[in-house]
Amino acid sequence: MTATIDLAAKKLSIERYMQERDWFLVLAEAAKAMPGAEGELNVKMFDILLDAKQAVVDCVNNDEPFIGGYFCNAPELFHAMDLPWFMVMETPFMASSAPHLADDIEGSVAMGLGTDLCTAVRLPAYYINSGMMPVPSAVLGLLSPCDAAPMLSQIMQHDKVWKDVPLYCCDPPYTGDDRAVQYFAEELHLMVAFLEEHTGRTLDVEKLKVVCEESNQTYALWQDYNELRRNVPCPHGWEIGGAQAFAISQCFVAGDPRCTAWFEQLYDCGEAKVKAGQGANLADGWEEKIRLFWFDIMPYGWIYEFMPWLEEEWGAVIVMDMFSNFPYTLLDTTSEDTIFQGLAKRNLLDAPMIRQARGTAENFSNDIRRVVKDYKIDCVIWPGHMGHKDGAATTGIMRQTCREIGVPFLHIGLDLFDSRYTSVDEVKDKVSEFFAGMGLG
Amino acid sequence: MATQTRSLQTSEAYQQMSRVADALLTPEIEEFKAEGGRVVGFFCSTVPEELFTAAGMLPFRMRGTGSTSTELADSCFTPINCTFPRHCFNQALSGEFEFLDALIVINSCDHVRRIYDNWIDQLDEPEFVHIMSLPRKTGERQVQWYREDIALLKEKLEAQFDLEISNDAIRDAIRLHNEVRRLQRELYELRKVDRPPITGAEALRVMVAGTALPRADYKEMLEEVLTDVRGLEVGDDYRARVLVVGSELDSPEFMEVIEGQGALVVTDATCFGTRLMWECVDEDEPDPIRALAQYYVADRPSCPRMHGDQPRRLDFIRELVDEFKVDGVIGERMNFCDMWQVEHFMTGGDLKGEGIPFIQLDREYILSGRGQLQTRVQAFVETLKGTD
Repeated sequence: MTATIDLAAKKLSIERYMQERDWFLVLAEAAKAMPGAEGELNVKMFDILLDAKQAVVDCVNNDEPFIGGYFCNAPELFHAMDLPWFMVMETPFMASSAPHLADDIEGSVAMGLGTDLCTAVRLPAYYINSGMMPVPSAVLGLLSPCDAAPMLSQIMQHDKVWKDVPLYCCDPPYTGDDRAVQYFAEELHLMVAFLEEHTGRTLDVEKLKVVCEESNQTYALWQDYNELRRNVPCPHGWEIGGAQAFAISQCFVAGDPRCTAWFEQLYDCGEAKVKAGQGANLADGWEEKIRLFWFDIMPYGWIYEFMPWLEEEWGAVIVMDMFSNFPYTLLDTTSEDTIFQGLAKRNLLDAPMIRQARGTAENFSNDIRRVVKDYKIDCVIWPGHMGHKDGAATTGIMRQTCREIGVPFLHIGLDLFDSRYTSVDEVKDKVSEFFAGMGLG
Repeated sequence: MATQTRSLQTSEAYQQMSRVADALLTPEIEEFKAEGGRVVGFFCSTVPEELFTAAGMLPFRMRGTGSTSTELADSCFTPINCTFPRHCFNQALSGEFEFLDALIVINSCDHVRRIYDNWIDQLDEPEFVHIMSLPRKTGERQVQWYREDIALLKEKLEAQFDLEISNDAIRDAIRLHNEVRRLQRELYELRKVDRPPITGAEALRVMVAGTALPRADYKEMLEEVLTDVRGLEVGDDYRARVLVVGSELDSPEFMEVIEGQGALVVTDATCFGTRLMWECVDEDEPDPIRALAQYYVADRPSCPRMHGDQPRRLDFIRELVDEFKVDGVIGERMNFCDMWQVEHFMTGGDLKGEGIPFIQLDREYILSGRGQLQTRVQAFVETLKGTD
């Protein structure tokens, strides 16, 4: 069954989406003011992002197939099938600094979803419930890494309009052994069959191979770039390269030459800065004093109020974060089977947040140990996002891990998308007390 | 049959069950262990407890009964974690579960699954701690996945404890556990009448006891309870019949607060209630492990963690509302539970849309905020039809 909506509903369904696009236009304009290669990188990233958003808007307006999905649904497959897509949780992940967000969060509370349900889930639930999300030809749900994300899929099935949107969810095993990867690869095959059935697009394995080889080039560059971030000072901080690398490679154009070209430029930019001995901030007299591992999503709801402050006030640089982390292996493109095995591994075991939160807790510890060592990290901050309840229940393990390797650890307790949960000033106070107490900076 | 005034408190079997429900380590468990028996603790009603009975072990459903604090566990968990695992783990750190010979955790929810990680990080006993991988979907592929997972657990138990769990033993265990389920359902059937012989709090004690006793012994006790309750009636001071839907509710005191406000709990859809026993495992399936997988993944009344099953869960509640002549539905939820938050949002809305009153009560694992709870229930009861 396919959802059918009238013209007014269709207009409403992309209203917020277009407002977000317009917000990104504002940010893109601001990026142009940034000088040099970093400014160019920002501008190109926004170009890619805006093109991806426009493709969805065009599909809505022209009644062409497009899908909703997630970065951990193997987006190389969407690209190989010529399927424009948007991330169902795109707003909190990317646009939660937009001016209308506070009102929408209030709307999600008024809807009856309470205040302790993850904001990243409440927001799309609200958009679905209020008809303010593009209604796709088919949608892919998410059954990991937490309890809240799968409930969003059930909200879709329960909604009066979205119940008619075909929905498929890959079932993620809790384990990470060969049996689990094989099982998940089969789930991906079923996902492709589902998409073919409901979008009319087909998967050409030869094209998939080309896309995956391109994706490999992208990932190889990403890995090389991350090597550059090991340098002291780190060539880039929160703004360039880190979380952007994730967004470009997994959210907008996975396996696309534009993506690879962006990474080539990113690498060149980073390499030039390393050779020049330059750090993340080029202001006169600025010095990198604290190398920080921010072990979560970036605080997109209040990123511009907090991250520049970290760098300027404390000389604290986000050398690594959960989404910049690179645990990936390249895809073996020998055959369809090896490609799907590789995509299964990447999307079940390695994709950010899925990697840490889907299964047992060892990757919280393993990633801390590896990142701290490889990137010469001075301290680890687990922000303690209100939605990350499995992570909250892993706080003791993370603290103990940091104690064992002799690196300070801070748990804050906040909402990455809504600064009213813990105010930015309060976060700054806690961070400052932590830095001062640990003799950092 | 002539009805009698309430005398369930004089039923020896019920008294024994009450005592078992109100404690963790009981004389029954001590006796079982003294005779060489092993006790397997397990979290969540989706763990195939029949396997442990087949191994000659006592399946013990984990709970935090008797806990008054989470201060030890709070170094591992945080205030945004559900208090059920925090109390349970606090009990573990306090040595209250030293009687366990094995522990099985399952990826039931974000809070409970992390007990596994914290347990192996903080505690050395029991030696055998295992986590199971329950699928999120309920189709044939998922049944097959869980079948393999149960088979894997069986192999590990056999290796750890140097024993063999034969298919015949599993079949016998399935028959025994099914018989228990049938008897429990029989008890629930008695609650359909206008003045049932047993309250919701009493029924919950009977159900909780069934997760902490050797099932053959429990079956005999349950038969006695059934004999003892026949012909009894609750008092006439109840003004409404309610159904409680929710999660891990092992607190008879919570039910007593509800019933103290004039709302008789006549049935439930909880993890210590109908979700345990409304359906039976297929005894005719040639592969008993597959039968268990089919039951736990697909056939039993599901909880919100199972994707795509909300319409079936709603139908189940509708069926109970109809059969038990329910006036209103109480959705209980432990704070910070994302799954039940959304489930109650959906199901509560559906029920209200059909004219079935619904209220959501958020709670902590151990009873707290009694006054607020009483007030909310009282107000809810006032709104129910049939109440004066």
